[in-house]
Amino acid sequence: MKQLTILFVCGAGLGSSFACQMSAEDVLETLGVKARLDHSDISSAVSMQPDIIMTGQNFQSQFEKFAIDEAKTSLIYLKNIVSKAEIEEKIVPVLIQKGILND
Amino acid sequence: MIVVDFIIKNILTQASITIALIAMLGLILQRKSLGQVLSGSLKTLLGFQVLSAGSSIIVGSLIYFGKIFTQGFKMQGIIPSIESINGQAMNELGLGREIALTFLAIFVFNILIARFTRWKYIFLTGQAILWMATMTTIFGYFAGLRGLVLVLVSGFIGAVFAVAMPAIAQPLVRKITGSDDIALGHFCTIGYLFEALIAKLFGEKGENKKSTEDLHLPTQFEFLQDTYLSLMVVMVPLYLITAFFAGATFSTRLAGETNYLMFAFLQSIQFVVGVYVLLAGVRLLLGEIVPAFRGIAMRLVPDAKPALDCPVLFPYAPNAVIVGFITTTLGSILAMFVLPKFGLAMILPGMLTNFFAGGTAGIFGNAVGGRRGAIIGGVAHGFFITLLPALLVTIFNQMGFVNATATDVDTVVAALLYAWIIGPILKAV
Repeated sequence: MKQLTILFVCGAGLGSSFACQMSAEDVLETLGVKARLDHSDISSAVSMQPDIIMTGQNFQSQFEKFAIDEAKTSLIYLKNIVSKAEIEEKIVPVLIQKGILND
Repeated sequence: MIVVDFIIKNILTQASITIALIAMLGLILQRKSLGQVLSGSLKTLLGFQVLSAGSSIIVGSLIYFGKIFTQGFKMQGIIPSIESINGQAMNELGLGREIALTFLAIFVFNILIARFTRWKYIFLTGQAILWMATMTTIFGYFAGLRGLVLVLVSGFIGAVFAVAMPAIAQPLVRKITGSDDIALGHFCTIGYLFEALIAKLFGEKGENKKSTEDLHLPTQFEFLQDTYLSLMVVMVPLYLITAFFAGATFSTRLAGETNYLMFAFLQSIQFVVGVYVLLAGVRLLLGEIVPAFRGIAMRLVPDAKPALDCPVLFPYAPNAVIVGFITTTLGSILAMFVLPKFGLAMILPGMLTNFFAGGTAGIFGNAVGGRRGAIIGGVAHGFFITLLPALLVTIFNQMGFVNATATDVDTVVAALLYAWIIGPILKAV
């Protein structure tokens, strides 16, 4: 079983993606899920092929233009990228689908 | 004595080592394992060196650009860049260690202020703190402060800004996000409030307020959110046009064997390479320090609000971000031509700031005065954030920084505070 990788993305890959990563870290800890987390800018994100990409809603249209294989990489868009409630609500179904969490 | 001497001469004068030791301290305080402490400290060390490398690339490209610009337009054009100021302060003034320690002092004072006052903001945007530390340290140094006093005073002033800026922006941030659990931690806040004020005066009011978010912007604009792509789109024509105006003879002398326009093109890409490398360095550098700081701060100040980088607000009003970027750029181009008429320096638009600060200011303008507020406020914001760095140029020139100035207005205000108020007081005493 390869470890789950989650990539957090924003324009420069510096501030807000990092803030999102720190919030998600807390969420994953309460869920008891171990994962490798990293953050990057949108230009680099395309080539990284993580299991999950989390980013702000404002990047949705751009990600739809990229050729990202959704079977391999699930995309999650957030309105408030540091809201633990929103992160949890959106990540749990994906984790269940990937067989990492049980219903 | 030899050992102590070695430590002082070879270890504590290296800024990268100082900052790695700060990260190490943070990791030890969090009771991490030995392996994590070592790898975290090494990553921080690497990040700092990568940051310096990126800064040299930027400076190299800007030196070339400065030459062709002066030749082409017969005036001094300055690209504001805190990165190059940071590089010069570290390399030429040898202030690297003081800047690193001030960076730590800002963190510590920030926690103390949040712990003992009503303002419960913890400023988590690491790179902004680094730039603030750069400015307060340089200006403290030129006001005659040295050693520990310099670090403490610069750190305290930086920390006051780190708490005050999120606090004054909070009423509007509440309005934008509809909640009170996050704050804005970005040192361009005075500009945001300026835009909000203009939007209030000239924007749409009450019932007539139309949000930018009901507009259908052409999707072609969306690529602008990709930082490095939008930088290239601006820098390439800027360099090419300038090289063209400088003329083939002059530009070829700088380009050597390569065709002079091709050389200008490659140099413009080189500028973006510098920014990319620098930010990759910042990412490595902050990867360990910020979570450590956050962990410690949240334990000491349980009811603290995290003040976060400005793009956190972008998903709330993505159209306002694009409108803000474009209008701020227009305003800064306007100021570029107008300010020299008043005897001030010619400041070229700093595209990174125009995007991040302009985009965020657009959200503020839209929240207060709708579409018209975002547009009129945006142009005024662009003018404002060009005017302040222009005021700083003369002061920087007196200090021996050749044609340099910084962008983020809060750090500029901190610098002006030193230059106009604190410095004269210190000199009088």
